[in-house]
Amino acid sequence: MLEKGKISASQMGMMLFLAVVASGVMSIPGITGKYAHNDLWLSPIWAALMGTVTVWIAHRLHCMYPEKTSVQYSEEVVGKVAGKAIGFLFIFFYLHLSGFVVRSYAEFIVQNFLHKTPISVVIITMIFVCTWAVRAGIEVIGRTAQLFFPVFLIPVLFIPLLLNNMKLDYLFPMLEHGLVPSIKGALVPGGWLSEMFLLSFLLPYVRNQEKGKSSALYAVIGVTLLLTMINFFILFVLGKQIGDFLFPVMVAFRYISVAEFFENMESLVMAIWILGMFVKISIFYYVTVLGASQWFRMSDYRSLVLPIGFFVGLFSFWSFPNFNTGLYFDIYAFPFYGPLIQTVLPLFLLIIAALRKKGQSQNQNLTAAKHK
Amino acid sequence: MKVKCLWISICCLLVAGCWDRTEVNDLAIITAASVDKAKNEEITLSVQIFLPRALGGGAGGAGGTGGGQGKLTTMRNSNGPNIADAISKLQAKIPRQIFWGHCKVYIFGEEIAKQGLADHIDFLVRHPEPRNRAYLYISKGEGLDTLDITPSLERSTAESLREYADLHIGMAVTLVDFRNMLRGESEAAAIPIIENGKKLQKPEDIQVKAVMVGTAILKRDKMIGSLTLHETRGLLWLRNEMNKAAISVQLNGVEGIVSVNPIRTKTKLIPHLENGKWSMLVHVDTEGDVVENGTRLNLMKPELLALVQNAVRADIEARMRMTLKVLQQELQTDVVNFAAAFHREYPKEWEKAKGQWEKIFPQIEIHTQINVNIRRPGLISVPAGVPQEEIKNDE
Repeated sequence: MLEKGKISASQMGMMLFLAVVASGVMSIPGITGKYAHNDLWLSPIWAALMGTVTVWIAHRLHCMYPEKTSVQYSEEVVGKVAGKAIGFLFIFFYLHLSGFVVRSYAEFIVQNFLHKTPISVVIITMIFVCTWAVRAGIEVIGRTAQLFFPVFLIPVLFIPLLLNNMKLDYLFPMLEHGLVPSIKGALVPGGWLSEMFLLSFLLPYVRNQEKGKSSALYAVIGVTLLLTMINFFILFVLGKQIGDFLFPVMVAFRYISVAEFFENMESLVMAIWILGMFVKISIFYYVTVLGASQWFRMSDYRSLVLPIGFFVGLFSFWSFPNFNTGLYFDIYAFPFYGPLIQTVLPLFLLIIAALRKKGQSQNQNLTAAKHK
Repeated sequence: MKVKCLWISICCLLVAGCWDRTEVNDLAIITAASVDKAKNEEITLSVQIFLPRALGGGAGGAGGTGGGQGKLTTMRNSNGPNIADAISKLQAKIPRQIFWGHCKVYIFGEEIAKQGLADHIDFLVRHPEPRNRAYLYISKGEGLDTLDITPSLERSTAESLREYADLHIGMAVTLVDFRNMLRGESEAAAIPIIENGKKLQKPEDIQVKAVMVGTAILKRDKMIGSLTLHETRGLLWLRNEMNKAAISVQLNGVEGIVSVNPIRTKTKLIPHLENGKWSMLVHVDTEGDVVENGTRLNLMKPELLALVQNAVRADIEARMRMTLKVLQQELQTDVVNFAAAFHREYPKEWEKAKGQWEKIFPQIEIHTQINVNIRRPGLISVPAGVPQEEIKNDE
């Protein structure tokens, strides 16, 4: 096996949680709010369906091919050539996504905090740090996730500081235009939750296999809870303006002012959430490297870390020319692109694999019958 | 080992992020800004800049609030077609980098408020530096005069205005509140009005004149009228924003005045729609203490206390009705946001009616239900300055 490290199921759950929510917590609520208006708190719950389905598919496939990642077993499922093609698709998808995530992170930082710093510096420093984590392997990423997971939740404690400025009235009228707006708003977080497919790269390295599925489902529940809570929070504070802001969560945290002393909290909140971004990017980066080295059938993945890091940097520059286009991709392309690669394609693999297994066992039965 | 050292040094160099370092002594910290109408479709942007040297030099070893005799702020202004442009011209007049992060007050001149605030609000929301918790004010006359006043109690007028907002004497409207009003169902907004700064230049003027003089009423982003301070109190009751008040009432057939301080108040709007008839029940719950009893009545008697409660109830109702009359008949603008209450309760009917809200609003019938509970009499039971024999235990 390429990766000798092992992680625990709970570490994997935390990795998945951060991998989905680290970037999502910033940008999803604004997009959801634009479509679901005051029903936006409902959207993450619809989106959780997508996450659950993806987890189920990835786990079923894993049960059929334990100890193999999706890049490896796709060759077994659909044959060598088609399998290689699908494997390449996965690798390319995660490579592009790593670049995209790095760029979104950097755009956010430059737009809000470091106006004069060239974006390349923000991107390259992040990739450098992640390179280190990826070289160290899955165990280290797992432990970083474990370490940063509780820290990541600290900003939630700041929410009560705005209780004074929250108006429950904004919640009503509930479901004014039926369920459709909240489902529309669920498309983007649904795309994000399909990233749960990262599971298929992590499960082979989980020490306590039997808990793998449940901890992945806990991750889905955690993401849903956090997003719902954040959505309630910004709805009560910002009311009808949630759809106007690109980063409503930051605007809301910025509104905190307690006794003229607890002010300008958004910098602290962002500093904390960047830790999550680090874990997220490391996981995507790691999965790309691992997948690529398995695709090339290499004996060690470490030699691929730097070259792929270089590509991640390139893709981050190529992925979109300006923030607006990036958001456009997030809203109009990713809700279909993400689930297509991470949920629908694996579903096809699962169906074919299941049919094959059935065929095989029938064949075996036949041959066994002949021998008798 | 060597590789590790190399990694660490690379990371140290890159992670420090030196491009955006800002030194406090390179910044011109803006404490308040005002936007006024200028000639040729231009605006005048004035900023109040904090003078750190004045604070440090004046206070010296004494430290803190004593401060120097001189002004702690200075005012600069510049013209331009919009705020962003005016800032770049303003920067040419200030040797330090303009910094908006501590600007807590924005003042708009009356003229520009009548023209519309939309263009100017955008900068404040879009630019990452200005705080969304900054308070908005509309100034009679021009806003820039206010920035140049030396207040006697606070460090700057910005600080005074922020304190006023915290006191809730009039409305307190932050940038986020204002946008919520604009985006609300009624598309009407209210912003507190402050006195023309020209009238407050001399210390003796500051001693006698009130700064908060009322509330500007805006339809969308354009100011169309105003409420007096007295009418503003009614608006605060209606909007459930009342938290400090002294209600003084004269009881029927009794000499003297009783004052009550409501400690806790809650206003609920309960809309009702039947056969196309729109009506609104304003439900007020308030509880408070007696703070002054100028009558001869012994308010420890429950039936006499009930009299006071009834009088307070009537007073609150009168205040709200007065404000509503102005809003419904004269200004025809729904700043209380009855529209939102109807939207919440009757979403389907609202969907049909929202185009004609301006016609519906003036005709809404108002009912009130006010519960006044006087919980405590203060520290003394009988009227304090009255001889024992003159105290009345009944009417």
